[in-house]
Amino acid sequence: MSDRPVPLLDLERLEKSYPNGTVALRGVDLTVRAATVHGLLGANGAGKSTLIRILSGAARASGGNILWQGESVCWSRPAQARAAGIATLHQQIPLVGTLSVLENVLLAQRGRWRRGASLQGRLRRLMTSIGYELDPDAQVATLPIGERQMVGILQALAAEASLIIMDEPTASLAAAERRIVHRTIRRLAEEEGRAVLLVSHFLDEVLALTGEVTVLRDGVAVLSSPTAAVDEGQLAAAIIGRPPRDPRARALPSATAGPMVAEIAGIASPGRLAPCSFGVRAGEVLGIAGFLGSGRSELLHAIFGADRAACGEVRLHGRPVGRSPAAAVAAGIALVPEDRRSQALVPEFPLVKNLTLAHLGQFARWGIFVRSESETAAAEEAVVRLGIRTRDVATPVSELSGGNAQKVSIARWLCGTTHLLLLDEPTAGIDVGAKAQILDLIRGLAAAGLGVVLVSSELTELIAAADRILIMREGAIVAERLAAQTNEEELVLLASGAAGTRPATAVELQ
Amino acid sequence: MRLEAPRVLGLREAGVYYALALLVLALAIVCAALGRPSYLSAVNLINILYQASPVALMGVAMTVVLITGNFDLSVASVAALAAAVQIGAVDTVGFWPALLLALAAAGAVGLLNGIMVQLVGINAFIVTLGTLTAIRGLVLIVTGGRSLMVQTPEALAAMTNFESGRAGPFPYPILYMAAFTLLVWGVLQLTTIGRRTYAVGGNAEAARLCGISVNAYRIGAFVLSGLTAGFAGVLYASRFGAMNPTALQGEELTVIAAAILGGTSLFGGAGSVLKTVAGALVLYTLTNGFNILNLGANYQGLIEGTVLIGAAAIYTVGGRRATLFSARPRDFHALRAGPTGVAGGEPRPSSGAQARREEPL
Repeated sequence: MSDRPVPLLDLERLEKSYPNGTVALRGVDLTVRAATVHGLLGANGAGKSTLIRILSGAARASGGNILWQGESVCWSRPAQARAAGIATLHQQIPLVGTLSVLENVLLAQRGRWRRGASLQGRLRRLMTSIGYELDPDAQVATLPIGERQMVGILQALAAEASLIIMDEPTASLAAAERRIVHRTIRRLAEEEGRAVLLVSHFLDEVLALTGEVTVLRDGVAVLSSPTAAVDEGQLAAAIIGRPPRDPRARALPSATAGPMVAEIAGIASPGRLAPCSFGVRAGEVLGIAGFLGSGRSELLHAIFGADRAACGEVRLHGRPVGRSPAAAVAAGIALVPEDRRSQALVPEFPLVKNLTLAHLGQFARWGIFVRSESETAAAEEAVVRLGIRTRDVATPVSELSGGNAQKVSIARWLCGTTHLLLLDEPTAGIDVGAKAQILDLIRGLAAAGLGVVLVSSELTELIAAADRILIMREGAIVAERLAAQTNEEELVLLASGAAGTRPATAVELQ
Repeated sequence: MRLEAPRVLGLREAGVYYALALLVLALAIVCAALGRPSYLSAVNLINILYQASPVALMGVAMTVVLITGNFDLSVASVAALAAAVQIGAVDTVGFWPALLLALAAAGAVGLLNGIMVQLVGINAFIVTLGTLTAIRGLVLIVTGGRSLMVQTPEALAAMTNFESGRAGPFPYPILYMAAFTLLVWGVLQLTTIGRRTYAVGGNAEAARLCGISVNAYRIGAFVLSGLTAGFAGVLYASRFGAMNPTALQGEELTVIAAAILGGTSLFGGAGSVLKTVAGALVLYTLTNGFNILNLGANYQGLIEGTVLIGAAAIYTVGGRRATLFSARPRDFHALRAGPTGVAGGEPRPSSGAQARREEPL
């Protein structure tokens, strides 16, 4: 606990309302001290992002005071906040895809010229200091999402700010990258004396990393305390406004004895995926664990026929399925992709049109003329069934929060006949409450007779939701465990290659 | 309940209709003030529709291409090719077979565009810029750089009948345009094909992962564009019974301007063929007004360009305002009343608006 008289940042009764009447913040008090990691928690819609926008100068508060190093400030442009010493790492990092890692990291630096050599050296030092190596000349657009996140973190570090705001820095990262981010955050506060405002959905992360923690709910700080004085339960209760349920408590019993729904025989993709074979039974949730880049998403895309280079066979109820997404959808295979914004939803479409897109033929006379009444009825039913929070079914999906948007991309597959549901990180970037609802939904769907394949980076969640877990590493399935007989530590060891032998990788098999 | 009506009647949603109405009204008043013949006479209005119909036809197909997220610069060259094929073949094979040949040639160019863009993966702008130039070159080669003319009187009669015949007061091209527009509008609005067309342009990856064949839809749009351009070329050839190898040069820009005036997005996923037709009518009303007022053709380009940029500015700024300031006082009161404490636990925004701030998808 710092006893400096003037905190680095002090917010007094900060308010923000939008011209359309939405009140996002109703008087938030928040104090961030130097050399401290300060956790900021809250459900989707609690006002975290608005707060960050104000602090980074992207939006103006409509009431209250911001005291920066004891002085009242009012930023109207992001450049002013940056100049004052606040660096913000946004959740969707605005990187320039066509530029190199080096150019992105040092994009905001002063100076007119691109001084290649000295910048190279700086980037190298930066990367060495956090223990993460990236090719400085790699084009950012070609990097996987986890590495792009690391580029964003390097960018925030390069700004040498006294306060670094991180919005969900680990949401899309696998365990190895996550550890690096954690180490970096600690180092920033402890060794370099900077303050970090860490926004996260992961309670364990917040408990482990932060010195102080603030919880927002409905635009007010409902809890503000040294982290040591609270536990996970208290935080969760403050976030959702009621005592949480134990994530391990299973909503529904598992059933593993159903008939075989899908048999995957030798599905492989050159350079990405070694031949994989396994079966999924009705009523079963098959978990897939593995680090980022271990081939989890690639496996799902190959099964779905979305990877044109993939070969192998998928049989659904014993019948082979054609190798295209259209054939897969027609046969009853569904894929909920990892990135709902760029892969699942059509932003211009209202909820109802997004919901019926995959099985539109069922809502059309002779498969041609769309019957909007039956569409609307199905959408309204889905909204009630999945608890989607929306004004009405005509609301554009771009206006829904992350959790609700994810429910739409799952609900899409429930209005048609689906036998095998493939889910890629369905709970990434979603708040605790919605996360629990989605996991319950997945269990419920399995109980109703679907075969489910669930990819998740959150091992606790995976163990809680799955019956059986396949562990992937370097594009191959390296182990299989029953969820009831394994634990997170074992999964991490298997996925990282620390336990057992090294697999034959996809590359070697070419 | 949302207040639907104001949004549908808003500047962004219906701006092109207002612009057309205002323009016609202004010209009518000016004509009356100057003592010229009535601007609003049936003859003049039908004349505008007639003049606009080839561009409106191509604009409708262009809108479909734009909705799927592509771009077609080659339409005017393709129309000229079809006109050349029509005139070259009509004397020997007769009118209808020549029409089929012309459409086949035009459709083939559309297919080529589609294949190069979708299957080879070259940017649509580059591919169709290439076909724009190459097909015009092909027309010059085929015609030897000279004007083509229909030789036999029977063929000429069949062509004139196809283009200049009238149903009541309406010349046939207006009817072709109206029928085609209504057909495409119906398909886009009412059918699964239309829904998927919009989805392909709105988010191609999402469409693909929903089992929609993105390539088929996009190539199909190019073929439709080619065929429609071919039909417009046949209309042009039939109007004069002759064609000049540089016929319709530069017309592709008018076609695209009509689509943009109608509010079609260049990024795909949005657009309406009815508004494109209105956009084409705005352009031809301007031309017509210049003729009637004897303003001289010199001003025309300047005014049309200004109108185009002005329209795009209204759409862009209007779109931004709509998301930022869509004032709905009811929501404000609901929020003031505080959260309603639902069992779900998560704070409940009284509309999607609050959640939107937090995590836009």
